[in-house]
Amino acid sequence: MKNVGLKSGSPKSGGLNLLRVLGLDTLKEEYAFARSESTGYTSAKKIPDHWVPTTCGYCSVGCGIEIGVKDDKAIASRPHAAHPVNRGKLCPKGLSEHYIIDTDNRAKYPLLRKDGKLVRVSWDEALTVMAERFRATQAKYGPEALGVLSTGQLVTEEFYTLGKLVQLGLGTNNYDGNTTLCMASAVSGYKISFGSDGPPGAYEDMERADVVLLIGANLADNHPILCQYLEANRQQKTVIVADPRVSKTAMMADIHLPLKPRSDLALLNGIAHILISYNLIDREYVAAHTRGFAELETFLEKYTPEYVSNITGISLDVLHKTAFLYGRAKAGFIGWTMGVNHSTLGTATVNAICNLALLTGQIGRTGASPFSITGQCNAMGTREAGFASSMPGYRKFDNSEDRAELASIWGIHESRLPAQRGLAYPDIIEATVAKKIRALWIIATNPLVSYPNQDVLRNGLSNLDFLVVQDGYHPTPTTELADLVLPAAIWGEKEGTYTNSERRVSKVNKAVTPVGEARSDFDIFLALAEKLGMREELYPGWKTVEDAFNEWRLVSKGRLCDYSGINYHMLAEHGAVQWPLTEGAAPVATSRLYADGQFQTADGRAKLVCTEWAPFPEQPGGEYPFILNTGRTVEHWHTRTKTKEVPILERLSPRAWLEMNPRDAKKLGLHSHQSIDVVSRRGRIHGVELRLTEITAPGQVFMPFHFAETNVNEVTQDAFDPISREPNYKQCAVRVEKTLAHAGANS
Amino acid sequence: MTTLPLMDSSLLSMAPKGLVQLEAEPHRLIPERGLEAGEQYRFHFDMTKCIGCKCCVVACNEQNGNPAAINWRRVGEIEGGYYPDTQRHYLSMGCNHCVEPSCLIGCPTEAYTKDLNTGVVLHSADACIGCQYCTWNCSYGVPQYNAERGVVGKCDMCHNRLSDGVAPACVGACPEGAIAIEIVNIADWRRDYLSANAPGLPSADDSISTTRVTLPENMVPDTGRVDLERVEPEHPHWPLVFMLVLTQLSVGAFAVLWLLDLLGRDFLGKAADLKIGALASLTLAGISLGASTLHLGRPIYAWRALKGLRRSWLSREVLTLSLFAGAASLFAGMLLFDLPGRGAAGLMTVLAGIAGVTSSARIYMVKARPAWCTAYTIAEFFSTALLLGPLFVSLLAPSSWVLYAAAAGGGAQLTTQALKFLWLSRTDVFELRASSLLLSGRLQNLFVTRLAILVVAGILIPVMGTRGWVIALAFVLALGGEWLGRFLFFISVVPKNMAAAFTSSERAAA
Repeated sequence: MKNVGLKSGSPKSGGLNLLRVLGLDTLKEEYAFARSESTGYTSAKKIPDHWVPTTCGYCSVGCGIEIGVKDDKAIASRPHAAHPVNRGKLCPKGLSEHYIIDTDNRAKYPLLRKDGKLVRVSWDEALTVMAERFRATQAKYGPEALGVLSTGQLVTEEFYTLGKLVQLGLGTNNYDGNTTLCMASAVSGYKISFGSDGPPGAYEDMERADVVLLIGANLADNHPILCQYLEANRQQKTVIVADPRVSKTAMMADIHLPLKPRSDLALLNGIAHILISYNLIDREYVAAHTRGFAELETFLEKYTPEYVSNITGISLDVLHKTAFLYGRAKAGFIGWTMGVNHSTLGTATVNAICNLALLTGQIGRTGASPFSITGQCNAMGTREAGFASSMPGYRKFDNSEDRAELASIWGIHESRLPAQRGLAYPDIIEATVAKKIRALWIIATNPLVSYPNQDVLRNGLSNLDFLVVQDGYHPTPTTELADLVLPAAIWGEKEGTYTNSERRVSKVNKAVTPVGEARSDFDIFLALAEKLGMREELYPGWKTVEDAFNEWRLVSKGRLCDYSGINYHMLAEHGAVQWPLTEGAAPVATSRLYADGQFQTADGRAKLVCTEWAPFPEQPGGEYPFILNTGRTVEHWHTRTKTKEVPILERLSPRAWLEMNPRDAKKLGLHSHQSIDVVSRRGRIHGVELRLTEITAPGQVFMPFHFAETNVNEVTQDAFDPISREPNYKQCAVRVEKTLAHAGANS
Repeated sequence: MTTLPLMDSSLLSMAPKGLVQLEAEPHRLIPERGLEAGEQYRFHFDMTKCIGCKCCVVACNEQNGNPAAINWRRVGEIEGGYYPDTQRHYLSMGCNHCVEPSCLIGCPTEAYTKDLNTGVVLHSADACIGCQYCTWNCSYGVPQYNAERGVVGKCDMCHNRLSDGVAPACVGACPEGAIAIEIVNIADWRRDYLSANAPGLPSADDSISTTRVTLPENMVPDTGRVDLERVEPEHPHWPLVFMLVLTQLSVGAFAVLWLLDLLGRDFLGKAADLKIGALASLTLAGISLGASTLHLGRPIYAWRALKGLRRSWLSREVLTLSLFAGAASLFAGMLLFDLPGRGAAGLMTVLAGIAGVTSSARIYMVKARPAWCTAYTIAEFFSTALLLGPLFVSLLAPSSWVLYAAAAGGGAQLTTQALKFLWLSRTDVFELRASSLLLSGRLQNLFVTRLAILVVAGILIPVMGTRGWVIALAFVLALGGEWLGRFLFFISVVPKNMAAAFTSSERAAA
């Protein structure tokens, strides 16, 4: 447990000394105040020598931030006043982001497992061993025996570099990112409905819409800075929030739809049914820009208000009201996050959202958009420039024109580009269980906390011949299992770009020297390519990340995600710029996709998709009577590798809890603050603090997923969306019981 | 589509101010004009806007360079209603810069001032001796003790920023604009300060908080604190446990010695025992007063505690107990050399002692700590004197009458404890009930032991009039029992405070 006590960690505060015991103010300097030009009157120790503008490295909102630097240490964070996204504000994580850089748990040196123990080795030895072991594994079991699990945390330039290295250098397409645990359903949904990935709208739409429908999106906890957009023009706007839990965001709504877990798809189909019945659709738009209306109309016949009300638990009245509000909106905005994506019907639900927007023509206009709010700071970058679920520039593996075009840009033979994507994240894990993947490279992600059903994952990883974990931090539950740990520079220590949820590209800058021998992921990729003897072939003449960015601009030119008009100079001058921006074009304040009604399909029309609702896979009952829902709290980020090192965030949110309705607790004889276990068919979480609250419905329980010590993914279900392969984190069947005094921690 | 000014160039040239920058229109959140006579600054908290993100807490800690365990601004939670019509609201609070600041009234060193220009309640770390009395006085738990530095600290509304025309850190950091600084007319506010009250906040009556809270219009009636089921024992303050019991013993002992001396040798027999008794009692008083300075964060500045005589019971305690020690030395000296007129010196000793014990008790009788704010505190302290004083003297000058006096003290203490517990357990006041639940719950064994010791060593043995080692044993037991009792006094009090968040860490160091 991290000490979050009184010790400020200052060298001057070293323990008790006689002067202090007597009562002399030995820490006067530590607590002194001063005025400076850049900070005004503030704690003297927080006044930096200079500020480095950059972009926040936590979530995909993409806030502009400045790091205060003194003596090559990050000592302060503040919002970048002029950044277009965050309007001079940051969330509590951003305000304390400088604490994550110089922590005790940073990975500082390459570590190689020798005789069972991780020992420090040189970079040269580490990379030589890595190249040799990868090549040996692939020689023995075939190129596909190597898997790579990446992230949404790197800069776009690194994703572009990594994609080439994996697909062309290492020659395996079993490459995916933790983005599949996050927003893959949005990607798949966009591809099916619009012919391409790419969120159509912008944050400004949330501000300018007169009806905002949020589905499975708790902005107040997860994207608090976007609440500024939600709350703007509040008098001219109706906010509807669909969430089975009375989340902070639900409480901000004009209308909260407390629908039954995972009945959102039925709700959306029901709204579409009502819109068609009452002719609240834009027939002109439908006729001009979509296909599949007749089939959809027929398909939706069975989603009568009565049927939908029965499935969702939403009254006929409220159901109609919601449909009428959206159908009559001048500008209707539908935003969603993980409540939709984390589902075995995630892709279908995204399609149903897109259906509503298409039926009413609520897309491509100010305030009108279906809009996925992404998770990680640069999940968008890997979607666009990476080479995992599609080829760079949203090019499709199975499209021969796309392959030919990319091959010609790169000057390679087309046969070197895979004609289909390799295994997705969960399928890579399955392949480790089946011993088809024998070596795995994990980059900047922590599956030993984040992957559903940890038993399967542990089983799979234990089969590996060689596991490389490249991360900014060590130990993490994942690096502890590694055969080789590569220490990576993190946010604040390297340069590049992030792209946020609204397609806005923002510069990431280096403020301090990386800790120890940590190297940027970009450097590591280039150094490995060198060991593989492919550096010049893959990265001709590259020296800096800007070289990668410039090649990526070329590769994206003419695509939907066109970066060709964006360059580092422009980003430095303007703060952040949205794609698409073709070469030579002047950036605009806010842009939207599909304003012209032309979609990325062969016929330019968007597709209306028939999306059948079904109950979630593991229904409660018998020994497991509760539905477990999972989510976040505002103080923590993902698997808490970073935020547990920030004392103030740990102070504010020191441990996990399980929310249960008091009526259920009464039946079980449980009370608040009691230590309980959560048990599913797959495992047990030991010793969670119970919180009784009417925020959670009877029959449901909720738990945050950040805490490795009480890891909710011991019990979550490894059921996946058949298209996006995204896990169904949001519902599984559990029981709750008192923690037995003699039981030890099981994880 | 218009071509961009992606960034307003005026923003670029605007010198960024503070760790947390100003929003584009800062004037809405801090006053646009100066203060006029009879006015002061205050916080406005708009509960309808707060989303519980706790940016204000983080920004405050960064602004003031505080370690994580000290939070001059805190965010609490309140909830009400039934699913799905549930409401949760948040309370963000720094210092309320009260009209009648109880921290200031209690401070023995005048480390607190209410700024004449702004009305901000200021605390001087230089003047503070770390007695922590203010942390007991404030009903909102605002002042917090920094053990690393040995002094208290609190929110000063970033008044140095305000005077530069820059928003306080919390105001500037709030993404929702829920916190603002505004101007209040003090006389008007005294007449009607209802909007200083909110569910989850102690009554503004205690000190007339100036913070104005805007509540949601549709708040459900049962909205209340979510932290009621987590009641943690308070800090024991060991030096004070030690000091209180021993000074009370000493006062009781000198009272007995004075009476015995007055009544004369015929009554007692050997006078020599009184001399030893007086020297021993004096020694105990000296040790305990010296040890009490260990409670201070800055012991070498203990003398400053006399500065607040006009207001602070702590200052008065220091004065009266010092007078007691002086008079007791005089009386003991006169007794030792058998000087005449020592009856008057003894009377002075006893009167100063009574004043000292009364001052000690009054220190604890503060509105912010309801279980202390009662005559039972006076009864408890004097009962200790009445029990331990005679018992101690009887070790050296055995007498049935003295032992009966001790038994009376034991009886009084038992009655006090029993009646106090009944009172605590039969009220609707949360802090009092919670105190009784601590005593009957996790502190039950200690509480029962304390009562059992009183019965055996405080009443039965003295009444039986036994002599010798049994009395010595009874004294040791009774002394241990009173120490235990005072320990329970400190840890079982449940202070008033703002509502906390459900999963917040242990209470702030105080």
